[in-house]
Amino acid sequence: MRAAGRAIAIRSPSAPIGIRAATLVTLAVALPLCVAYATLVGAVAIEPHRVLAALFGGGQGTDAIIVRELRLPRVIAAALVGGSLAVAGTLLQGLLRNPLADPFVTGTSAGGSLGLVLLLAFGGAAATPFLPVAAFAGALLATTLVWRLAGLGGRTTVLTVLLAGVVLSSFAGGVVTFLMVASDRLALRLRSILDVLIGGVSIRSAGELTIAAAIVALGVLAAIALGPRLDAYAFGEETAATLGVDTERTTVAVLAAVALLAGTAVALAGLVGFVGLVVPHALRPLVGAPHRLLALACFLGGASCLVLADAGARVVLAPTELPVGVITGLVGGPFFLALLVRTRRMAV
Amino acid sequence: MDITRRSLLGLVPALLVSLVIAACGDPGSVGTARPASPAAASVSPSPAAFPATVIDFQGKSVTIPTRPERIVSVGPSNTEFLFALGAAERIVGVDDFSDEPAAAKSKDKVGGVKVNVEKVVSLRADLVVSLKISDGSLDRIAAQGIPVLVVDPRGIADATRTAVLLGTAIGADGAALARSMQEGLDAVKARAAAVKKKRVFHEVDASDPSKLYTAGPGSFIHDLIELAGGINVAAGTASPFPQLSVEEVISSDPEVIVLGDASYGVTVEQVLGRPGWSSITAVKNRRIVPVDANLMHRPGPRLAKAAETYLEIIAGTP
Repeated sequence: MRAAGRAIAIRSPSAPIGIRAATLVTLAVALPLCVAYATLVGAVAIEPHRVLAALFGGGQGTDAIIVRELRLPRVIAAALVGGSLAVAGTLLQGLLRNPLADPFVTGTSAGGSLGLVLLLAFGGAAATPFLPVAAFAGALLATTLVWRLAGLGGRTTVLTVLLAGVVLSSFAGGVVTFLMVASDRLALRLRSILDVLIGGVSIRSAGELTIAAAIVALGVLAAIALGPRLDAYAFGEETAATLGVDTERTTVAVLAAVALLAGTAVALAGLVGFVGLVVPHALRPLVGAPHRLLALACFLGGASCLVLADAGARVVLAPTELPVGVITGLVGGPFFLALLVRTRRMAV
Repeated sequence: MDITRRSLLGLVPALLVSLVIAACGDPGSVGTARPASPAAASVSPSPAAFPATVIDFQGKSVTIPTRPERIVSVGPSNTEFLFALGAAERIVGVDDFSDEPAAAKSKDKVGGVKVNVEKVVSLRADLVVSLKISDGSLDRIAAQGIPVLVVDPRGIADATRTAVLLGTAIGADGAALARSMQEGLDAVKARAAAVKKKRVFHEVDASDPSKLYTAGPGSFIHDLIELAGGINVAAGTASPFPQLSVEEVISSDPEVIVLGDASYGVTVEQVLGRPGWSSITAVKNRRIVPVDANLMHRPGPRLAKAAETYLEIIAGTP
């Protein structure tokens, strides 16, 4: 496991400053462009000038309402989800010194979905703005449990974390499935909960988006603040400790940030794979391993990716919408494999 | 509820490829029991010839050797039909969602989304009438020598056809039931001719608020809307239970919104508060009508009653 950690750090110690700057500028420019594109496309065709008019105050009527109250909030939600997942992936990969870590393998996403489903089942209609909070609570609980389980009997190793994560994911999946199937007999009024979990980006109210944005902001700021301490983890936890990092507190803080980010992503979009895994991978060679910059780049890159994926989900089979996870899987899977092949070649 | 079951079963392939937590649940409906329509209740069994051979909804020819005395019904609409055909005493098992008429609830249960083959066999069933279920359980039942009829009505025409088909299968006067259903539907149609047409959005499920399940062409709900003088805003879709993007719902500007998901907790207040919905005529006029899914979401013998309800909704819309 250490070898893997070293590999990350050594193979891309710190990219040349020119490339780093160019990457960040590109990402910063790409995000608004992606947002603009995604706002222009949708189930209902609205001419670009009318979209612009609706965005900048003018324009009444149905078109303006669709753009202002539906499309733009959804695009913003997609950006938040993508950014959150990518930053969460970065944090976990740094903490575990393992390139395969993302909120899925650590049980974080599964815990988030469990929190979500429980609130939907028992919370009633008034609870919907708090779905991000429920997802966060579930994610935090699941992550804590995984770390506790993995830490039993001494040192927490990557392997035990991943194992515990897999087990917890199955458990949460079992509970969700049980609630769905038993919904009728328990009078839970859970209907197509599946659509909630794999359906894609959707927001139920303006309040939900505001709460989600606040949580994500908190998570990203925490990630950036924790960056330098995570850098010290590159050569292992002991090394970090000898460098003066309070590893226990750092671990707790990182996990809390991951739960904030991944939980919110689950609340807004259900289970979306690959973004948390692929985006940090793709960007690490370009911006280098130091986490402060990487987290920032990943937020921008992840946001752009998911905004595009969500636009794709709306466009590919229009008017039928695809679950956004289909797009991220179809694009992210091959991309990740290609990245893997290239990295292996370089390593030989 | 038939249509929830169908839309959820349709998701199964999507499930298998996703990372998700699988399984499809079908919460049945929580509506109140209503008496069967008088027309349906008055149908009396008539002697019929056995063995009887019928063609089921999958085009399969099924021979029923003797008059069935131990019938298992899977699907609330099938159960309602069998009761309406006077087979109350002969039904030995129903699925978890069959709650109409009230007597159905006290029958033995053979499962919800999945049919329990062992249970069906242990009930010594001599006829199984079921919605289409693709997990192989119906084949396993048929392999036990029990005749299995797949009866899966979608449109209004399928419902009257079901009455005739089941009548032949169990030795009852299905034609009379079909006739009385048709008369009821025709009467609604005649009354609807005098009513101004209205644009209707029929909400089946809004669990995903950006993609709402509704009823499209090929479904009995779409047929009911059109029959009762409505214009289904989902008429241009290609499947019986499509998902309509919320953008499409808003730009189609329905004059009345019918909440088929009211028994799942969706309220008029919630709809009024949905982002972006304020521009819809139905929302401006507060014309949002919760309906009993138990009655409205079943292609059963009470269809004429459902059509009447729809006509009242459309006629009462400004």
